[in-house]
Amino acid sequence: MPIERDDRDDVLLRQSAKGDQDAFEFLYRKYQAALYRFALRMTGRAWAAEEIVQDVFMTVIREPDKFDPHRGTLGGFLYGVTRNRVMKHLERSPRDLPLGEKTDEGFSPDTLASKELTPAEWAELHERRAQVRAAVLDLPVEFREAIVLCELEEMSYEEAASALDCPIGTIRSRLHRGRALLLAKLEMLRDVPRRANAER
Amino acid sequence: MPNDNDITGRMPMTCEEFAMACPEVRSASDDNTLRQAVLAHARQCPRCAALQSNLQTLQDDLRYLGLETKDADAPPRVQMRVMQEFRTKHKTMKARRIAWIGSWGLATAALVAAAASWISWRHDHNLIGRPGTGSAEVAQSATNQAPAGQSTEGLVLGDTFVASNSSGDFTLLPGSTPSPMEDATVVRVQMQRGALGALGFTVNEEHAADLIQVDLLVGDDGLPQAVRLPEATE
Repeated sequence: MPIERDDRDDVLLRQSAKGDQDAFEFLYRKYQAALYRFALRMTGRAWAAEEIVQDVFMTVIREPDKFDPHRGTLGGFLYGVTRNRVMKHLERSPRDLPLGEKTDEGFSPDTLASKELTPAEWAELHERRAQVRAAVLDLPVEFREAIVLCELEEMSYEEAASALDCPIGTIRSRLHRGRALLLAKLEMLRDVPRRANAER
Repeated sequence: MPNDNDITGRMPMTCEEFAMACPEVRSASDDNTLRQAVLAHARQCPRCAALQSNLQTLQDDLRYLGLETKDADAPPRVQMRVMQEFRTKHKTMKARRIAWIGSWGLATAALVAAAASWISWRHDHNLIGRPGTGSAEVAQSATNQAPAGQSTEGLVLGDTFVASNSSGDFTLLPGSTPSPMEDATVVRVQMQRGALGALGFTVNEEHAADLIQVDLLVGDDGLPQAVRLPEATE
């Protein structure tokens, strides 16, 4: 059966539960990247993100009835499952990512380095981004997921609230506190000159 | 904290309000009222100006961090594994469905066959005793040809042709005890001569397959108690 762009996700999921491979593949292609990015940004590890995404879609294959279209969107449901898997992963593995450590192949900082930068500036930029990345990964999970969804994934508050199944106000406050924590961490790490500048 | 009215003419925002509003106004247009208020506050409050600057730097850093992984996709091997699992699951489900349908089909066929054979058996059983049909006719004609000295009157009880209740030369069947005659019924049946062997009679094996008429003395418990061979059969 040809997949229509405007077919609803729950219809596609029902078709895939009956064995329609095209419907399942369509859903996989639609959601895999976003879920992978979320898992990657939450865990900081490509292998973990890969495992999590695989696990999420295995759940969709084995237990499609777990999704109830009356309770929300399939996207929200998949984010919820991904989030649970991320939590489990984070519980299992301690925070062992030292600041500035090179992460897995999921990150590619070189792609963002400006061609105009001198080697010294490039090194400074690279270091700062590594510190930001480490600071994000060091945030408590609830603040981290708000930062990941709203700042990195550039979701609206509504979308983030739907993905995390919580009120918009919660997203707003977590984001606010997450930013404050990040600022505190990064200030501690780097920013004496900036503070001096600001006071000038 | 500044207390003067800002350029928009409204009450200036507090530092707490500034901290909440600052990250929100980044993408707002220049003539946005909130943005104007934030900028006005930042101009008057060095601490909040520093906060705004730091927040902006942080948001830039986060944006770059987001861009680093913007195009990240799950590797193709994940899709391969997931699709393999999908095919395996649905192949197994299909096989299970076929097996399920097959087993139910077999069970239904067996049930239908059993029902058909039971109906057939019932039909045959009824035909034996029904007057005017097949073997009952034979039994009736045999009754009509009964030798003198025996009653030839028959009664029809339900589907069974019943011979007259006369006390003839009945031979008790092994293991049965005589009961009062008023409780017994004489039933004439047709059977193979060879079956008499089981009742204790001597049977000529050459004629074992012949069909003969036999009177059975059936007690009130429904069990045959004695048997008699009409003279013509003997």
